[in-house]
Amino acid sequence: MLEQIKHWLDRRRGGRGGHLDLENLPNAKTPGDQLLSDCRLIVLDLETTGLNAAKDEVIAIGAVAISGGAIQLSDQFDLILRRPELDITETVLIHGIGNEALTQGHETEDALLYLLEWMNGDPVLAFHSAFDQKFLEKTLRSQLGYTTSHTWMDVADLLPVFFPKAKPGGKGLDHWSDFFGLEASARHNAAADALVTAELTLVALNRAKKHDVKTLRQLHDKLHYHRRLQNMHRF
Amino acid sequence: MAAANPDSARPQNTRAIMTFLREHAPFSSMDDTHLAHFAEHATLRFYADGDEVISPDDGVIKRFYVVKQGRIRGERHNAKDDRTDTTFEISLGECFPLAALIGERPTRTLHRAAGDTFCLSIEQDAFITLFSASDPFRDFCLRGVSSLLDQVNQRIQSSAMASIGSSNSLDTPLERYALRNPIVCSPDLPVEKAVARMHENSVGSIIVTDDNRHPTGIFTLRDLRTLIAEHKAPLDAPIRQVMTQDPICLPAHADAFEAAMLMAEHHFAHLCVVDDEHCLIGVVSERDLFSLQRVDLVNLARTIGTATHLRTLVSLRADVSRLVDAMLAHGADSGQVVKIITTLNDVTVRRVLELNIKKNDPGIPFTWLTFGSEGRQEQTLLTDQDNGILFETPEGMTEDQVREKLLPFAQTVNQELAECGFTLCKGNIMASNPKLCLSDNEWDDWFIRFIDASTPQNLVYSSIFLDMRAVFGPTKPLEELLDKVLSRIRKNALFQKMLAGNAFQRKPPLTMFRNFRYVTDGNKQALDLKRQGLAPFVESVRVFALANGVGTANTLERMDELAKKGVFDPKDANAWKEGYSLIQAIRMRSHQELLNRGEELTNLIDPDDLNPLDRRILRESFRQAQRLQQKLELTYQL
Repeated sequence: MLEQIKHWLDRRRGGRGGHLDLENLPNAKTPGDQLLSDCRLIVLDLETTGLNAAKDEVIAIGAVAISGGAIQLSDQFDLILRRPELDITETVLIHGIGNEALTQGHETEDALLYLLEWMNGDPVLAFHSAFDQKFLEKTLRSQLGYTTSHTWMDVADLLPVFFPKAKPGGKGLDHWSDFFGLEASARHNAAADALVTAELTLVALNRAKKHDVKTLRQLHDKLHYHRRLQNMHRF
Repeated sequence: MAAANPDSARPQNTRAIMTFLREHAPFSSMDDTHLAHFAEHATLRFYADGDEVISPDDGVIKRFYVVKQGRIRGERHNAKDDRTDTTFEISLGECFPLAALIGERPTRTLHRAAGDTFCLSIEQDAFITLFSASDPFRDFCLRGVSSLLDQVNQRIQSSAMASIGSSNSLDTPLERYALRNPIVCSPDLPVEKAVARMHENSVGSIIVTDDNRHPTGIFTLRDLRTLIAEHKAPLDAPIRQVMTQDPICLPAHADAFEAAMLMAEHHFAHLCVVDDEHCLIGVVSERDLFSLQRVDLVNLARTIGTATHLRTLVSLRADVSRLVDAMLAHGADSGQVVKIITTLNDVTVRRVLELNIKKNDPGIPFTWLTFGSEGRQEQTLLTDQDNGILFETPEGMTEDQVREKLLPFAQTVNQELAECGFTLCKGNIMASNPKLCLSDNEWDDWFIRFIDASTPQNLVYSSIFLDMRAVFGPTKPLEELLDKVLSRIRKNALFQKMLAGNAFQRKPPLTMFRNFRYVTDGNKQALDLKRQGLAPFVESVRVFALANGVGTANTLERMDELAKKGVFDPKDANAWKEGYSLIQAIRMRSHQELLNRGEELTNLIDPDDLNPLDRRILRESFRQAQRLQQKLELTYQL
């Protein structure tokens, strides 16, 4: 990862006098008639110092890409951000990321720019995506002044839509992983959680195809409908 | 830190996939850089239960797959019966479709997910890179599962080596050396009677014990020499006057080294082995300790064949077990080893018969028959007796008169064989059973009834009586009998079909979708390697052999003959022989381990005790048994 980013930065800075700009980043795509079997999807997971987006910070970003209906392990993102100024002692125990590991990370701006380039504006999926979306958008805004919104979809919604009868015993990532017999290779590791989330996404997309949900728009609409239904039930 | 350990520089998910791969062959033997190349170029796909993974219609295969979770089922359409046959199952950590990928052709089998399944796969170019860079990977791809067999054999050898090493280094517990049931006498026995008892049993020492079997003294040949040379006491004096008092004793768990040191220190050639209550268990002689160093087959066979006493034969059984260790250590395959065990068993049986004829000749020539696994020359250390007698009735005698003479003789032989470790047959398939001590005509009649009236009970017996061999006495009467039996079976299609139906009942322990089908052994899950693993091969092969006039009883030889006759495709025959031999090898290794731990021999194993490679080999072998049964099913329209 480290080498990849350095390489990329050299390329980007080459000819531009070391100046990084936000102008040439890929545009965020909106859900249209792209076929789910063709398009690229980002599945992402963040580790943070806590649950409060107003005061907590992102520690690590893990992401994998799904394209052609498969998780491409050649196309992944796994980085611990360099945030030595943060007091992370409280959550160190949960995430297993100590100060030592953190200082091996990278300048946050570089890493985030690289992430945006890598994401290529493709739709982003995450488990309980509101959380990741809030944190990532906050970080991009404060570090880079980047405000473009991307298309986000919640895998926690995707699963009950296509497996309405499943009783996973809870709504969490662990519940659904257990339900499908999946296991993260490491606990509370952004990349490992992203991979499990992506595996669950594959399971859901397999079912979607059988229900004639073929395009990104159809999938997005279905999720939107499910959300509204849920909200109505709440009242 | 990152620089010192290249692994930590790799992304978590790459490392996780490498960890997964390392648990499975052939990846377990591959270099990390090659595993990393695999992981970095892999894609992960999901297939729901019943989804097609690859099909013959997909064209030339361009991808190499590994099952990461779930299972893949191979399906072939059977045009004749218009149904779908499952040809194989691929489970966790296994690769597919090798033959098609290497042959650059479409697969011939539809691969379908059995249960929700994830597969890792790499594209052709990554496959080619690994294929040319990694020797273990290339070897596996070209030779498939049979390259794994070498690995298993190597491990069987090294574990047997370890056990040989321990007996050489004298740290084996004494109880493995000690002669059980030593010759004992009470303190009041006259010396001459004690010496007579030593002579009878051809031993060099006698232990004098009190009423509680505590050793109080020892009297050896050396003591006798001194007694006579120095006129110490008359020969009718009680032995307590001339014995060496308070003989040196060691507990059973002391090792051979301690014993050797004590002997060297005191210049004694014998030691008593006692239990915690100080009761006598056995005697160890200097010769016992050092004869362990070398066991060779010829010598062992000669020793057995010339033994003059039953107790010598009994004590030689431990040498047979050590020889098996040695054979496995030197790379003998399971087929050779079972044959050697059978050979040594034959020698023992012959010697027991000879010694009994010498003692008490029944006066009528007979052929000693063995049935079942001994008949097939497939005995392991866990074996029971299946034997019978075939005789030609002398003129002027009735068959019952002959039996009157032979049965008491056979009774003694059966008992003595039991003492040698051949367990008495629970079903009374023994020569001392009047129904199995028969003249040539009676045997012939017996087989006619056996073949014509194919009752369920008869079919159960088929695994015993249709695998027979002569061990002692003239062989010609048996050859004549066998000729008649074989030609009768060849002509009797109904009997063949019933035999086939019976063999088909014995299913290999694999379920359609799960791994192993277990038998219950208390509350543990277990596989019965003999009944569930070997029997499906043995029984199916027997049907084909008998139906095609193959006279030999040995399963591997039967398969060779059947391949020669064109009944089996040579490739199939090889795969089946391999599968059969591997189950046998794993069974024998388990027997040796039990023996070394002093536990009772059993054919049950818990697959969880096996490593992943063995489990996989076992599953592959069972799968071969399924294929063999499918051939049976097809041939006999079951």
